[in-house]
Amino acid sequence: MHSIPARRKPPAALAVLAAWAAGVGAALALADLPGCHQPLAAPIAPADADGAAPHRGGVLRLAATQDLRTLDPAGPADSLGVQAQQLIFAGLVDLDDQSRVVPDLAESWQVEDGGQTYRFVLRQGVVMHDGQELTADDVKRSAERALHPSTPNPNASYFDGIAGYADFLGGRTEHLEGVVVDGRYAVSFHLSAPDATFLSILAMHTLRPVCRTGGSRYVDTWLACGAGPFRLEQDGWQRGASLRLVRHDAYFRPGLPYLDAVEWTFNMQPLPQRFRFESGDLDVLRDMTQADMGRYRADPRWQPLGKAEADTNVFGESMNTRMPPFDNLEVRRAVAAAIDREHYRLLSPGSVSVLTRLIPSGLPAYAGGEEQRYDYPAALEHMRKAGYPFDPATGQGGWPKTITYPINDKGLLVYTAQVLQQELAKIGIRIEIRLMTWPALMALQQRPGNVAISPGGWGMDYPDPSSFFEPLFTTGAIGPESTYNSSFYSNPPFDALVARAHRELDVPTRIALYAQANAILCDDAPWAFTFSSHKYDLRQPYVRGPLLHPVWGMDPTRSWIDRTGTALEQAVGRPR
Amino acid sequence: MSRLASRIAWSVFVVWAVVSITFVVQTVLPGDPARMVAGAQARPADVARIRARLGLDRSLPEQYVRFWTRLVHVGPLDARAAPDHTSCAVIAPLRGGRSLHLDFGKSFQMSQPVVDVLVARMPRTFALALVAMAIQLLFGVGTGVVAAVKRDSWLDRVLVSASLLGLSVPTFLIALGLQLLFARTLRWLPLDGFGSDLAEHARSMVLPALTLGIYGAAYYTRLVRDEMIVLMRSDWVRTARAKGLPEWRIVVTHALRNAMVPVVTAAGLDLGALMGGAIVTETVFRWPGLGELSVKAMLNRDGPVIGACVIVTSVAIVGANVLVDFAYARLDPRVTGRRAGGTR
Repeated sequence: MHSIPARRKPPAALAVLAAWAAGVGAALALADLPGCHQPLAAPIAPADADGAAPHRGGVLRLAATQDLRTLDPAGPADSLGVQAQQLIFAGLVDLDDQSRVVPDLAESWQVEDGGQTYRFVLRQGVVMHDGQELTADDVKRSAERALHPSTPNPNASYFDGIAGYADFLGGRTEHLEGVVVDGRYAVSFHLSAPDATFLSILAMHTLRPVCRTGGSRYVDTWLACGAGPFRLEQDGWQRGASLRLVRHDAYFRPGLPYLDAVEWTFNMQPLPQRFRFESGDLDVLRDMTQADMGRYRADPRWQPLGKAEADTNVFGESMNTRMPPFDNLEVRRAVAAAIDREHYRLLSPGSVSVLTRLIPSGLPAYAGGEEQRYDYPAALEHMRKAGYPFDPATGQGGWPKTITYPINDKGLLVYTAQVLQQELAKIGIRIEIRLMTWPALMALQQRPGNVAISPGGWGMDYPDPSSFFEPLFTTGAIGPESTYNSSFYSNPPFDALVARAHRELDVPTRIALYAQANAILCDDAPWAFTFSSHKYDLRQPYVRGPLLHPVWGMDPTRSWIDRTGTALEQAVGRPR
Repeated sequence: MSRLASRIAWSVFVVWAVVSITFVVQTVLPGDPARMVAGAQARPADVARIRARLGLDRSLPEQYVRFWTRLVHVGPLDARAAPDHTSCAVIAPLRGGRSLHLDFGKSFQMSQPVVDVLVARMPRTFALALVAMAIQLLFGVGTGVVAAVKRDSWLDRVLVSASLLGLSVPTFLIALGLQLLFARTLRWLPLDGFGSDLAEHARSMVLPALTLGIYGAAYYTRLVRDEMIVLMRSDWVRTARAKGLPEWRIVVTHALRNAMVPVVTAAGLDLGALMGGAIVTETVFRWPGLGELSVKAMLNRDGPVIGACVIVTSVAIVGANVLVDFAYARLDPRVTGRRAGGTR
């Protein structure tokens, strides 16, 4: 017969307690490791502390939280694609580290017919990644390939000023009439109207010459091939995982690039990026948590190795000029004066800059002039003039209704919305924050009569003030279906000023025209400008040379690696 | 045989219903897929052109019919050579130089045939799911049996507490802990990624599989323990003991076999869900499988990928359910008898 053994009295409470203590202890230890109390790893020293001269060799390893969609300059672009395309494709013109247009594949250019014709002379002997020499025919073929109606090019309409664009897009002509080959090494772009922005727009990647393997029509499966400093290695793009570009030895700038290769790993979250960066498996850290950014910025060993990227975007509170109470100019002025932008900056001091006018500091030539200032008494006075006096002592008065303020449900706007709510409450404007998805917010903002006030934001498409003024504030930008002019601001004198500036070739005159336009905006206040945001990058000390670029984000053409030993060898034994 | 046919018919209906609901839901959600492709700042004219290229300017019924008629259709033997079949995969050759095609369309975001994306990603997710499920069952059933046999002992309490902890801790925290310990501190395993050869794939799979395994094992521990405790008190176990059968045999061949019925149910559903992709785990470990793909597709309104992922997931879950049904019969012959009687 089976005997049931007598149970020993177990130290039950003790065992449970021990198990839980072990679990909680482990959880706390895990939570603590990447947290605030563990010291940061030290930077990995370069091979030559004195800063050796540039030399060839080395691989720059980068990571990104997002994925790469395409390498084709004529295809849908994103910030990561722009960085990679900048290395693969050279353009007729490029942008320098001050966002100025400089020659690249074009040796020189002339602007003729009062800004209606741009004639380029190409460098001779430029060898593309397929070994063929670049000629003017390649420039024309690449332009037609990028602007053909069958190409999913989201930037095509930027080039709608090229003569014959409409006919080409409509399929009525086989070739783009406005792009003319003037010889083996000369090509002209004829525009339908004078355009001072054309060179800036041409510096974008869209029309950059592609190899003959790219053909004259866009194909999804084409392997990127251009004339840039790096070329795509065979099987170098593992979709969803990584990209490897290797040096183009026949690059037209002698001696460049220095690096053997540039590698990206995609879809990597900020914490694994930090782990790899500290162990020397990543050379640059571009995505980090707010907490980590604060710690790196506070650490004297890392401070000199960190750099904020240029401000090339603008954020503000967009007020619908067709909806009450913001159809009242004095109310808009009150909002612009009631917001203390410093409160926005303090939300993320490492990545946010105060913005008081339309043009961000990343476009320095145009970034001065009139501004919106925080002035609380003035804000109250504007409310009084608007007919909605507010008494801060009693909290009585102001706009009598609560206004809905829709925001995207993630990111910084969740916090800036709360700052705005508090600032506006001080002048008697009460807002109710409503969270929604980004596509829903866009759909809401783009139709008139939907939303009285909402967050506005815009990134610089090309380095010219027109990239901000025209889509955000001109009457022409208000379409029947959708618009980025979410304040539905319409001011004919302002429109005329911006249109004139668009055509004006003389730079000082353009600067003066845009300064006038900016002054109008600051006073009319369709937006209360609030902040710009930027990335903060850290590099290991052995990454030498210029790396960041104000428009492309990153351009390691002149970077080099000054390092010895493997990552593991360097990581082990380092002071922690 | 008729039961099998009815199960398959019901499964087809379920897949159709799920995909149709998904199709409707994603079209009524605010947000324009063409805008997501073109970018936030693309001009309306460019967005409109891209919309037409993606076929999104067609009416909703037209898009719906086209999706289903393209899903499985007859086409040329060399699918990719024909202009209208560049996103197709041949699933069976037919007579007369024709073949049966499978076509989910092209991904809006990746500009790749969705079939190709699935072919690349499905084996990764399936492999991860199978290994994770093996870990879950191995540890979960093992510890559950031990806890039941050693009921009320200190070992039982430790295992029960540990399983409760395993259930309570979110997956991403388990993942982070494993990354910190095995990848960052000990450097035994890769932090994340997929690797480039079979050995690296295997090494890269250990941590995500362990993450899913720990989480699931905790559940199975509790399930098996509770079942076993009830079963060990049953009359037939007492009879077996009275007959003098060894305790291990009573546990394994009598109690455990019966305890496996609910375990098989849960495991079948879990396996189906895992086949659809373990979203958090795949994202944390950069495991390029279906979970990560479907989340991105949803965020980007990538309709063809969403449709394909939903079909794969629903087929996996429905298929797992069918398998579970048939596994019952193996574990408990009474099930077949009852159902057979019912259908007659």
